[in-house]
Amino acid sequence: MTASTKPGKLAVRAYQVGFGDCLLLSFAYPDRERHVLVDFGSSGLPENAGAGLIKRVANDIADRCHGKLDAVVVSHRHLDHLSGFATSNNPKRPAPGDVIRSLRPAVVVQPWTEDPDAATDATKPTAILHRKLAFVAGLGAMQGFAESLLRELHLLRRTMGKRLADQLAFVGEQNLKNLPAVQNLMTMAQDTQAYVHFGSRSGLESVLPGVKVRVLGPPTVEQSDEIRRERDTDENEFWHLLGADGRAVATRGHGTFRRAASWPAGTVPRHARWFKRRLAAVRSDALLELVRALDEAMNNTSVILLFEAGGKKFLFPGDAQIENWAYALSRPDVCQQLRDVLLYKVGHHGSLNATPKSLWALFRNRSPSPRPGRLQTILSTKAGKHGSSQNKTEVPRKPLVHELQSQSDLFTTQSLSAKTLYRDFEFEL
Amino acid sequence: MATPLSPRTRTLTVIAQDPSVLRPDGNILTARVEVPAERLAPGPWGHRVHVIDYDASTGRLYRPRTDAADRDPYEHVRDASRLLDDPCFHAQNCYAVAMSTLARFERALGRRVSWGFSGHQLKVAPHAFLDANAFYSRRDEALMFGWFHSDTGPVYACLSHDVVAHETTHAVLDGLRERYTDPSSPDQAAFHEGFADVVALLSVFAMPEVVAVALGARPGPRRDVLPRSALTPDALRRSALLGLAEQMGRQLQNVRGAALRRSALLEPDRRLYRAPEYLEPHRRGELLVAAMMNAFVQVWAARLEALREIQRGCLDRERVVQEGADVADRLLTTAIRALDYAPPVDLQFGDYLRGLLAADREDQPDDRRYLCRDALERTFRAYGIDPAAETSAAGRRSWLLRPGGVDVEGTHFASMQHEPDEVFRFVWQNRELLELSDDAYTRVLSVRPCTRVAGDGFVLHETVAEYVQILDLQPDELRSLGIRRPAGMPDDLSVTLYGGGVLVFDEYGRLKLHVSKSVRDAEEQSVRLAYLAAHGGLRGPGARRFSALHRRRNLARIERPAERW
Repeated sequence: MTASTKPGKLAVRAYQVGFGDCLLLSFAYPDRERHVLVDFGSSGLPENAGAGLIKRVANDIADRCHGKLDAVVVSHRHLDHLSGFATSNNPKRPAPGDVIRSLRPAVVVQPWTEDPDAATDATKPTAILHRKLAFVAGLGAMQGFAESLLRELHLLRRTMGKRLADQLAFVGEQNLKNLPAVQNLMTMAQDTQAYVHFGSRSGLESVLPGVKVRVLGPPTVEQSDEIRRERDTDENEFWHLLGADGRAVATRGHGTFRRAASWPAGTVPRHARWFKRRLAAVRSDALLELVRALDEAMNNTSVILLFEAGGKKFLFPGDAQIENWAYALSRPDVCQQLRDVLLYKVGHHGSLNATPKSLWALFRNRSPSPRPGRLQTILSTKAGKHGSSQNKTEVPRKPLVHELQSQSDLFTTQSLSAKTLYRDFEFEL
Repeated sequence: MATPLSPRTRTLTVIAQDPSVLRPDGNILTARVEVPAERLAPGPWGHRVHVIDYDASTGRLYRPRTDAADRDPYEHVRDASRLLDDPCFHAQNCYAVAMSTLARFERALGRRVSWGFSGHQLKVAPHAFLDANAFYSRRDEALMFGWFHSDTGPVYACLSHDVVAHETTHAVLDGLRERYTDPSSPDQAAFHEGFADVVALLSVFAMPEVVAVALGARPGPRRDVLPRSALTPDALRRSALLGLAEQMGRQLQNVRGAALRRSALLEPDRRLYRAPEYLEPHRRGELLVAAMMNAFVQVWAARLEALREIQRGCLDRERVVQEGADVADRLLTTAIRALDYAPPVDLQFGDYLRGLLAADREDQPDDRRYLCRDALERTFRAYGIDPAAETSAAGRRSWLLRPGGVDVEGTHFASMQHEPDEVFRFVWQNRELLELSDDAYTRVLSVRPCTRVAGDGFVLHETVAEYVQILDLQPDELRSLGIRRPAGMPDDLSVTLYGGGVLVFDEYGRLKLHVSKSVRDAEEQSVRLAYLAAHGGLRGPGARRFSALHRRRNLARIERPAERW
């Protein structure tokens, strides 16, 4: 390989987008820089960030890459990873997604679950194809469920606490279909739309010569089956049932017995009042449980990319949680590759199960004291949006943050002042 | 003329299994179940079960029937839509199945059974929410059944006999053994689910209408007979168990799991009990169900061997059906009565098998007619479940039959039949004999006099009392008791050890049996703590355990607490 086809430096720009991810990777080649945008979204802006933050970030990306992006990676379909790709209907007021589109990325990388041609993939055996389709349909059903949940939330708001209602609304909105952004991404690539899975080509080979990019997740359904135990119930069917229901419950008073006699709204006989309150609480808890489950399922479609250049490794796992990681971590060769990671983008904004302990234990560049070559970690997050300390589910999770602080050079976007848009990290390759 | 006595029971129409199980004429298979006669208020609202039909997803509270709640207006209804579209029928269905399940327990145990909460009336919500879930909640004193849409129309969990019986069994078992929901071991985590499935399925097979449908219609002129070749244990497993499983509503699989199907298809293999994939509570519970349902078909087949043929090589179909229902009923009684011989904490499947054999021996000393005990022991062993030994590996006596040296000085048996304080005095006075820990907090949970008819036809009076011992320890105290501290256990986390026992007194007030788990059994407690540490159970269970457990089954979720921060 000639010197001109190898990058000599990598700059990683971590934007402060609150609860979300936005990272710009700039590989310096002898002829020019090549830029890869990894995720662009937020579901909770930083305090005092002011309106238009996401647009300012988009403009900064455009400036930094001098009007030309080489690739976009969208780890998964959550709002906090793709809201920045949403477009506007008004040409006079372009949205951040219009700005990114104007940068004409050659390649757009997404998980295999986003492949619009999945339904016509006839190269797989029928049973596997059926399950693959069911899986993709299940994801669609989950988003249908999220829509119905938000409608039902209007009915339940009066009976639940504000904190619970806010949690439900936050996670529910996170899982909406985000159609403008999704459609923009489907047609954005100038050359290649890559839909990737564990072990597949990344699609970035053509734009990043001299950089090895391994796809470590998400696994396909066949790969998941290799490590998954036998099961009777079908999660996809379950979501399908609930997703279908999203169309059935839109307004108070509707149900399946339209003509049956019921008490007028607001009138509850005395003997039923206690139980009605209990049942409303049960329902609120169940919705939170369901919405968290679908949030996790969607997180587990995250693309996990391991970049390697000049003998250094950089790991970007999106929001992958242990179920996504399990297949990669079950393979000794992958574990070996992960040992000398130099930069780790902390998974899922620092949640309790997106940096599996078995993954963390692999990193040899961890160290209790500063030294050259110490592991660099980047945590893009905003506290107080997700989970609760009381339930030990707060994001970022305190014990994880403590571990990151004590064993690596931790940067968290929360440490930036309101006026600061980003922090750059440079690595000689 | 003398005034006629009030009837003790009444019959109510229910859906025999679920709306997808049909009669040969295409109508939904219904059945009439017996429930205790009582003065019902609109709901139905009786002395133990109160149906409140509130749907939290739509905010609708359905009005109950107000016309003579004691009547059964559905007795002659054959039109499916009249049953499916009438929420008042759904309410009756729930009430009747819940009450008949409770009554079945009380009949088997010979005593009243309390719920696992302080109130007397279990609330039942037939259309609680839009969700493919159903569960019992102690905290809410209720059974909740979801509903959802399928491609063929709405599906109601409350119309499935096995689902309602399953959830009611959780509520009853919680009243009988309140510590069985504690985090303990893979077996105890699985027992609630497995046992609820066993009771639900045997209740369904105890109805001749269902057995007849499960066996399938036989076309042609010989439809009233069945060939012997179709009545071997294997053939019955395929026809009756799998046959009914095939007919059950597929959409409800997310609510009920597939215990019946699995029990028909799961080939016996002693390695399963130790296999990692059978540590998950629902999967492990299937082993219990498979063992029990296979015992059912084996006993049934054995009973049929003794029957006279009415045509060459053929048996009378109706008789085959009746034998099946009788065997299911008999096994159901044994399955319930075994609880009285099972320790109140840290239950292992082997303890339950030992209880099953003891309960059956007690009721039917002569087993030549049914050969139940042989079948039970054989099928449980075939899935790797052996009867618990009378002495634990650490040398603790867990099964003490008619012990000598019991000190009854100062205790009064008349009081011991209903007074926890009196039983506590007995326990305290005999703590050395019963191998109790002096350090532990000890409490008598229940004292229940029982009256049953024994196999010889005589009325049997017994008293069953249950106590627990609870020991709170700091991690650094474990070693002094010989208990291994789990790897990675935080220093600031105290642990709670449980022990306890069941005392069975005979009709003369003599201690007949003491079944126990010692709080000081170092080996068993070490194993328990290691399991809890690996499965995130050291901090105790969540508030609505059954809701969460059923949800994990819905989502085929594997818990990996060791990977979390």
